Amino acid sequence: MNKKLIAILSVLVVTVLLFVGYKTFLSPKGVEGQKAVTIQVINKNEDVDETFQYNTDHEFLLELLEEKEEELGVTFEHYDIGTMVTGMLGYVANPENQEYFHVYINGEDAMTGPGEIPLNDGDTYIFELKNY
Amino acid sequence: MRIRDIALIGILSAIITAGKLALSFIPNVEVVTLLFIAYTMVFGYKKALLIAVVFTTTEIFIYGFSTWLLGYYLIWPILIMVTELLKKRAKSEYGYAIIGAIFGYTFGFFFAVVESLFYGVAYGWVYWIRGLLFDLVHGTSNFIIILILLKPIVDILNRLKRTYYGV
Repeated sequence: MNKKLIAILSVLVVTVLLFVGYKTFLSPKGVEGQKAVTIQVINKNEDVDETFQYNTDHEFLLELLEEKEEELGVTFEHYDIGTMVTGMLGYVANPENQEYFHVYINGEDAMTGPGEIPLNDGDTYIFELKNY
Repeated sequence: MRIRDIALIGILSAIITAGKLALSFIPNVEVVTLLFIAYTMVFGYKKALLIAVVFTTTEIFIYGFSTWLLGYYLIWPILIMVTELLKKRAKSEYGYAIIGAIFGYTFGFFFAVVESLFYGVAYGWVYWIRGLLFDLVHGTSNFIIILILLKPIVDILNRLKRTYYGV
C-alpha cells in the first residue's frame, strides 16, 4: 500500500481513539433523573430580577432553556464551538454596548456554555446582563 | 526591499486570507499552516514573517480586535522559524507534516496560555480542555493536508518564483 496512505490512515486511527478517550473521560456528564433547579435572570438595565423554579429530567442546562424558550424569552446564537445565550426575558444583549449574559452556577462563574453545563438537583443558574 | 517584493508579500498574504475564508465553514481545517510552511520553504523566513504580519493585521480588519489575535502575531512567526530551522534537515514532506500536526495539536494550548494572561489560569485551563477536540481535528487535518499538498504547492511556487524574479 502507498506509504502516504498508510501514514494518513494511522493518524486517523489514533485520532479516533483520542476522540473516544476524550468523550469517555473528559467531556462533561449529565445526571439522569428528576431534578429541581432554579433559573434567575438579572437585568439591571430593565430593572428585572426574576426567578423560575423547574422540575426537569433534562441533563444539561441548554436542553432546559430550549424547552422553556418561550417562557424565559431566550435568544440563542449557534457557533461551531457551541450555543451561546444572547437574550433572556425578551432582552437581547447588545454587543455594541459590550453587553452579554454572564452565567453563574450557585454563585460561581460558569466556565462553559449552557450545552456543557450539567443540571444538578438544587442548583441555581443565574443569567446576569453584564458588560465586558 | 524592492517594489516587486512588496507586491509579492501582498499577494501571498491575500492568498492565505482567501484560503482561510474559503475553508472557514469547516471548524479548524485550514490551509494557513500549509501555506506558511510552503512560503518559508520557497521565499525564505524574512518574506514569510512579513506575510504573517500582513495576514494577522488583515484578520483584525475582518474580525475586529480581540485577545486571540495577539497570539496570531506570535504563533505564525514561531511556525515560520521552526520551518526555517527544519529546512536544512528535512528531506521529505513527512517532517513538515509532523510539524504541522504538532502545531495543530498544541494550537489551543498556546492560546490558552495567552488567554490566561488576560483572564486567569482557570479560564485558560477550561479554554484548553474545551477546545481539545478542535485541536485534535486541527492537528490531524494539518498532517493530511501538508502530506498531500505541500510538494505540489512548493513545486508550483518555485516555478512561479523563477518566472516572477526572472532567475
